[in-house]
This record gives sequence, structure tokens and C-alpha cells, in this order.
Amino acid sequence: MIARRTFLFLALAVGLSNRLPAESAPAVAADPAKVAASLPMADSLVRVNSTDQPYNFDKPWSKRPPFTRRGIGVVIDGGKILVSAELIANHSYVELERPASSGKMGADVERVDYDSNLAILQPQDPAFLAGTRPIKLAASVPVGAKVNVVQLESNGAVALTPGVVTTVTVSGYPADGIALLAYKLSTPLQYRDNSFTMPVLSGDKLAGLLMRYDTRSQSAEVVPGPVIQNFLTRAARQPYVDFPRAGISFSPTRDPQFRHYLGLAPGQSGVYLVSVAHGSAAEKAGLKKGDVILRVGDSDIDEDGNYLHPEYGKIPFSYLISTAGLPGDKLPIRVLRGGKETTIDLPLEPRDPASVVSESAILDRAPRYYVLGGLVFQELSRSYLREWGADWRSNAPARLVYLDEFQDELPPDQGKIVFLSQVLPADTTLGYEDVDPTVVEKINDRPIHRLEDIAEAVQHPLKGFHKVELESDPGVLYLNADDVEKSSQDLRDSYGLPAIQNLDDPATKFAP
Amino acid sequence: MRQLLPALLFLFLLPDGLRAASPELIRQSLVRIQTVSQDPDYVTPWNTGTIGQGIGAGFVISGNRILTNAHVVSNARKIWITREGDPNRYVAKILHIAHDSDLAVLRPLNTEFFKGMRALEFNGLPEIESTVMVYGYPIGGDRASVTRGIVSRVDFQEYSHSGADSHLVIQIDAAINPGNSGGPVVQDGKVVGVAFQGYSGDVAQNTGYMIPTPVIKRFLKDIEDGHYDHYVDLAITTFPLYNPAARHALGLPDDGQGVMVSSVYGGGSSDGIVKPRDVILSIDGHAVASDGSVQMEGSNVELAEIIERKFKGDTAKLEVIRDGKPLTLSVPLTSPFPFNIYANAYDVKPRYVVFAGLIFQPLDQNFVTDNQLGNSRTSYTFTHFLQDALYKDRPELVILSRILSDPVNAYAAEFQQAMVDTINGRKINTLDDVAQAFAEPAKTYVIEFVGAGRPLVLEAKAVAAARARILSRYGVGRESNLKP
Repeated sequence: MIARRTFLFLALAVGLSNRLPAESAPAVAADPAKVAASLPMADSLVRVNSTDQPYNFDKPWSKRPPFTRRGIGVVIDGGKILVSAELIANHSYVELERPASSGKMGADVERVDYDSNLAILQPQDPAFLAGTRPIKLAASVPVGAKVNVVQLESNGAVALTPGVVTTVTVSGYPADGIALLAYKLSTPLQYRDNSFTMPVLSGDKLAGLLMRYDTRSQSAEVVPGPVIQNFLTRAARQPYVDFPRAGISFSPTRDPQFRHYLGLAPGQSGVYLVSVAHGSAAEKAGLKKGDVILRVGDSDIDEDGNYLHPEYGKIPFSYLISTAGLPGDKLPIRVLRGGKETTIDLPLEPRDPASVVSESAILDRAPRYYVLGGLVFQELSRSYLREWGADWRSNAPARLVYLDEFQDELPPDQGKIVFLSQVLPADTTLGYEDVDPTVVEKINDRPIHRLEDIAEAVQHPLKGFHKVELESDPGVLYLNADDVEKSSQDLRDSYGLPAIQNLDDPATKFAP
Repeated sequence: MRQLLPALLFLFLLPDGLRAASPELIRQSLVRIQTVSQDPDYVTPWNTGTIGQGIGAGFVISGNRILTNAHVVSNARKIWITREGDPNRYVAKILHIAHDSDLAVLRPLNTEFFKGMRALEFNGLPEIESTVMVYGYPIGGDRASVTRGIVSRVDFQEYSHSGADSHLVIQIDAAINPGNSGGPVVQDGKVVGVAFQGYSGDVAQNTGYMIPTPVIKRFLKDIEDGHYDHYVDLAITTFPLYNPAARHALGLPDDGQGVMVSSVYGGGSSDGIVKPRDVILSIDGHAVASDGSVQMEGSNVELAEIIERKFKGDTAKLEVIRDGKPLTLSVPLTSPFPFNIYANAYDVKPRYVVFAGLIFQPLDQNFVTDNQLGNSRTSYTFTHFLQDALYKDRPELVILSRILSDPVNAYAAEFQQAMVDTINGRKINTLDDVAQAFAEPAKTYVIEFVGAGRPLVLEAKAVAAARARILSRYGVGRESNLKP
């Protein structure tokens, strides 16, 4: 039923990494003019080979075939290495290599942050980094600045490609639903070995890590120094806390008729709040749909939601929430509500993972599932929907796509969307083989809001049967409780299931 | 000139033994139908639409009538009929038309037409493998044409003219061509079907379909009272009961009988009478097997086929098991509202309202055929309108279909294809509500769209100032049409 594999980040990225699998690419002959093994930054670079193995959300008990990505890590203070998170997503094994020597060393992932596409590695033996020089971070790089994109030739020589920062803006990152500061570069990059993560230098300092590259327009997007700095600061704290999010969406107020309606005076500007997510920092702070945000911190907000940054010019105010401050800070928000101005203190805090109904990407952990006599139940996630191929929005079950897309409109106590994802033909499921994926409402008269509810509900069969109530046709399926009990070993044997269920709690699963 | 046959082709075969009969049939019963039609335009609904011509076939039946396909004469502005060997063109009008079963009866204004003509009679279902002949005016020449084929299978299939109805069809293996539509398919001198649809050659070869006589006879019986009622429907879905656990849980023996009702559509015939999880054991005395089939006239057919033969006002008697107890239900059969939202509509004018350069239109199949639905919420709501019983909340979905750009609506682009929820607090249930809301005097018009975070605000003064400008700039002849 499900089409080919798609990988979250790869699917979104354009250019080099997408066109050429890193492991198969031949090294391009070095251009002596641009190559210099003796360049000082050579001492700060490490090759990183990551063998990645994503999970298969269509067969949630299995992993996909492994593949290798190669990138360049930069050595930072404390004997650690900074890479892009995309490089090591779903890694099974990460290996480090010094550019000019043959020594290799396994590495542990100390911290990964998919929001900002950054990760910190640590060599299994600190001696591996002997003789390297930690790189310094360039605080910010203005528009028009000249930078160099770093690549490595196969012989370990450093290849530099010059580029110019054309724009500094807040832009969508590969992970869904977050926009952070990014530099846009114009640079004529060529494909070389180790291209999955490429450091970008300003002088001898790290300006950022290349995130996307488009060969046709020769433009690149870079995770910039300020985002890296914010990540490193949070990574040094215990416990680790994700990037803060307000949990709001807004609409511009350019339309003069709309401005009159809102009572905005001429010269007064701001944006109209169209939604406040359940359980979000904004909701807790008391922001409401219909508020007009006039001012954030000390900055006036224009009618498109931008403010004037002293160095970058006009950028979206979300930068003030996500990156300019740190979790735990408070940000005063000036709003117009019912014709009156008022100030609300927004606490900077990350999204509560428990408030997310359908996760946009499940990485580094196995999909949760529950097999009941051949009926396979899962919790809805974008990772599952993406298994339906590049056109998953039209190919995946329409109801599930709709619930994912409009999950913010579900009631606050929704929990997860538990659905019947497939039916493994078995004696117990005779006649149920053609039931399409559909949402589960109740099992044995108990409402189902997460997979754990199934485990509990099947302890209470009704007159010897499990009654599975579905949102759409056929509406109900019955299983014989004794037969289900007996079938589990058969199912495991005939379909090769390692386990009949995986109820690992995501909160405890991956905590490097 | 277009030769008619909807997305499909029809054709027929001629056994040697019957060859002598053919010229007579063509001379005495076959009718060539020529039409001028005008298809409405759901993109610029105030425009008149495309005018086209078409050719189809028909044949004389009892009562000085001519039977043809509905799609031959749909949206027709003018219908002429001619017969073999007569140079005159006769103007005809539609007596009755059934878009759900793609049939129509015509009558010429001048009944002199029938002089020397002979009405054809109908037969039952032809045997599989038996030979039939198809008469018509297909592409490739002007004169009547005869082709031959055998009966390949009897099946239950969608009728593409409405796109929302399925009835019995007979597939024949004759090559099929535009212009065969409405022509008789004949065996032993009697009509066994009306050629009506097929596949183009790049999809499937020698696959043509005819409307069999049970469907034709039902249509002719339905119009005996002077008007055509829609087909009736139980408006339920069923699920086979093979699973032993399901059978035992529902209190059934392992006898292979009974099918489970999985959903009952609100507003349909069975609403409030049949319940989900009822197990249907029999319908009108025909035992229902666990796969939902019944035995009728010696063959195995779907349960729905029993209802197919019935008329508005008839009832269906169901024996069911509900909560383990037997129960007899009587379902009065009605025409299914709002199931026709997915049916192509004909001989109707697009309904719309233009206000401040914003075009408001109801969402129906005709609109969707002419316009791509890019808004995922609107598209989902349309496709689940029936399934999720959304029509209970809102009988008609009205959307902002298009924007005629003007300073007054310069910031409305984000609302394109969104569904209108309220205007100045008035809930919008139909397009008429939109017209009335805008007719009310107000200083501002505040339009809330379903799922949109902010309202669209239009100031009456600005709207009034823009009105003449927009109408003349975009050539909008009429600001609204509320009548289909």
C-alpha cells in the first residue's frame, strides 16, 4: 500500500545532497589555486561518516536498509564536534576521520536538535582530537559579507568556495513548523566528497553550517552563528530545553479596511493573532485570538510581523522568541485588545511534546504500534503519512491527512489519533483484509486516545470478544479474545514480528 | 460537429442470419438526432457558455416516442431528428429525461414523422456469448451504421453521464464510436439495450456498454405517471460477515447468511429505521448472503439490485437481527438528498453572486469539474460532505471561488476557495443567504470563512465605489444568478 521511502530532511533539501548520494560520488580533481592543506582551518575539520537507518512506519517493527552519509564536522571547545543534525538523523553508527590521516574513531551523539538542524558529537576517545584547534564562532555576519564554504578533497586538502551573504532572514528549517534565522548565500559550489555538512567561514571564524544548496540558482541557506550560539548555550545547560516557541499564528494588517475594523490608528502597526495553540506558552500567558500584537520586547512590530534588527534589518519577530532570548526568559508583548492596549509577559519555553497530536517527524526512535490478532494499530504522525510517497497529501487516507493538517483544531484533550493502519491476514482477521486505514474510537467500550489505552482495553473483553469501534466503515470489528491470545505467537512467526507491540514512551527513549 | 458518446464509444455486431432484417429496421425505426447544445461555464458564470453541435441516435418506441440517451440531448438548445430516406429535419422536444440512468424520450412537434415508422419492442437480458447488433450514426460517415458484437458480461457499473449513479450494464465486445449513443442494440428483432458508453481505444479495446432492458423498462414505467422520479436508494453501506468472531458476537450461526449494515446516511431512506450493526438477513423475501448478494431471477446479484427495480413511494421489507433479536423493518424509499451533490447536473444555469469583485458560488460537482480545488479544507469538506454528514450543518457549501482584482479586494487573496461561514453574523447555509446578507444595508460587511483566522472586512462605501468599475472592467453582465 505504501510507496517508496522518503526521508524528512532529504525530501525538503534541494541541490547537492539530494542529487548525489554522498557515498557514491567520485572526488572532483583538486584545483591547486583553491586548495591548501596548510590553511589554518584544516586543523579544525573532521570528516564524519554516519551510517543511518530510518524506521519503516509502514512496517513499524522494522528498519530500512542502512546508508551512509558523509559530512564535515567542525571542532568546537570541550573536545566536541559540531555537525548538522540531518547528517546523523536515525544513525546506527557514527565514525570520525581526520582529513589527512587514516585514523578512524567511533563517536557518540551528545546532543541533537532537529529544530535548528544541529548536533554535537564526541569521539569515543578524546585523544582522537589531539592537535586539533577548536574553531571560534562568528557572532553575526552582515549582508554583503564575503564568506567561504569549506569542502575537503579526497586527499584531505581543504577546498574553499567563496560566497556572499545576500540576505539575512527568518526562514523555514527542514523540521516542520519552525522558522529560525538563516543566511542566504550566493556561491558557485561544486560537488565534492563529504558534502552533507559544509562549514561556512567568515575569516577564520565559523559563520554557520550549510543547510541547503540549489545548484541551478547557486544559492545556499546557512544555519547562522546566532542560532548555533543559542543551541550551544542550551546544550551546556542541564536539563536540555528545546528552542522556545510561542505557539501562535498571525495575519498581516496591511488591508486598510481590516485596519479600520480593528481600530488601528494611522501609524499604529502590528499583526492580528489568528490562532493560539492548546497548551502553548502563548495560551498560558493569556494571549488570545483577535489580539493585535503591537510590540515585542522593545521592538515595534510592522503590519507584516517584522521588526527592525540593528544588523539584519527587517526580520520576523519570531526571532525574538526563538533565538534572541533563552528558555526561562520572559518577553513583554504589547497587544491591542478590545480597543485597549495591554502588556502580557510571554514566558519563553519550548512546545510541550505531550501537546502534539501528530508529530511532524519521528527520528531516532522506533515507531510505536500494537498488534491485536492481526489488526495493526499506530498513532498518527507525519512520518507515517510520508510513507505514502512524495504525493502523500493526495495518496494517503484523506481523513488522516486532514487530521494531521488541522490537528490544532482538535480538542485539547485529544491525546493521539490512534488508527488501524493495516490488517495482517490471519485466522482472527478473516474477512477484514480490505478494511482501509481508519481512526479507532473505542475498544471494548473504552475510548482510545493513545496506544496504552488499547493495552488496557483488551484486558476487558466483552463476553469473550474484543469489540473494535472505528470512525468509518465498517464501523466495528469483532475478534475472539481467546483466539487473539493464541494468535500472537503465530503472527510473530509468520510475519517475522520481533514483538507484538512497541509501547516505548518517546519521552524516555532517546535522551543522549 | 461532435458525435455523442460520453468518454466512451459504442458499437454493435451483425450476425449473417439477421442481415436481411437490418435495412428494414434502419428504415422503419432508427432515428438520427442532431443537437445544438450550450454547456454552462462555471469559471465565469455570467457568460453564456460554449455552443456545440452533436450527433446521436435514437429509435421509435410505442406511443409515438423516441428513446435515446439523456447525454445526447442534455443542455440542448435545439433538437432535430431525421429518419432514413426522408430529407426533412423535424424539430423534437424532450418529454422526459433521466440523468441518473442516462435515458430520455423525445417527441417530434410534427407527428407526421412517425408515418411508416415502426415501434421497436423490448426483450429481456441477452445470454452471455450471444450475438447482438448495434445501430447508430457513428463517426466515419453520415449514413446509418450497423456493427456486431457478442455479450461479454453483465455487470453493475457507474453511469458516467451523472458520474454518481451505478446501475446494471451489459458489456459487448464491439468496437465503439462516438455517434452510437442512444442507438438500439438488437437481438432477434427486439431491443436488448441502448448503446451508451465505452472506453477510448487507448484505454481498452472492444469494450462497449449498453443500458439493459431492466433499466429501460424501469424508466418507461416511472414516467407513466407523467413525470420522472429519481432512482431510490436505501442509503446504507454494508460489510460482509465472513469472520466467525463477528458472526458469533452478533449472535449469528455459521450459515453464510446475513450482511452487516456499516453506515446509514442521514437524510436517506433508511435514516432512523435501519441502524449501523443491524444484520440484514433478507430483503423483500430474498435471502441475503454474507457477502451481500441475493438470488434474483436465477442469478446472483447485489442487494442493491432489488432496490433498483423499485420506485419512489415503494417500500423495502428488511428482516434484520438487531442486538441479537430478529426484527422486521419497512423502509419507505425516497429520492436521495443530498446525494446529488456528486452528480453532474444538466440543463441548469450556474448560480453565483458577485460582490466587491468576489465571486461566490455553491460547491457542487459541476463547479468542481470546471475548477481545480486547491484549498485542502474545502476539498476535504466536499469529498466528505456525505460521509461525515456535513450537510446537516450546512446544506450548501458556498465558497469564494474567484477574485476579480480591484483595490477594494486587494487583500482577499488568502480567502480564495475558502468556505463562507457567516456574513455580518448571519450563518450562510445557501447561496441565497449570501445574496440576502449583502442586500442588507450595513456600514461594513464582515465575512467569516470556515477555518480562516481573520475575517474579511469590506466597507460598504468602498464596495459601492468599486461596483460599476469592476462590472465594466471584467464584463460581468449580471451580478448574480440565484436560479438554477
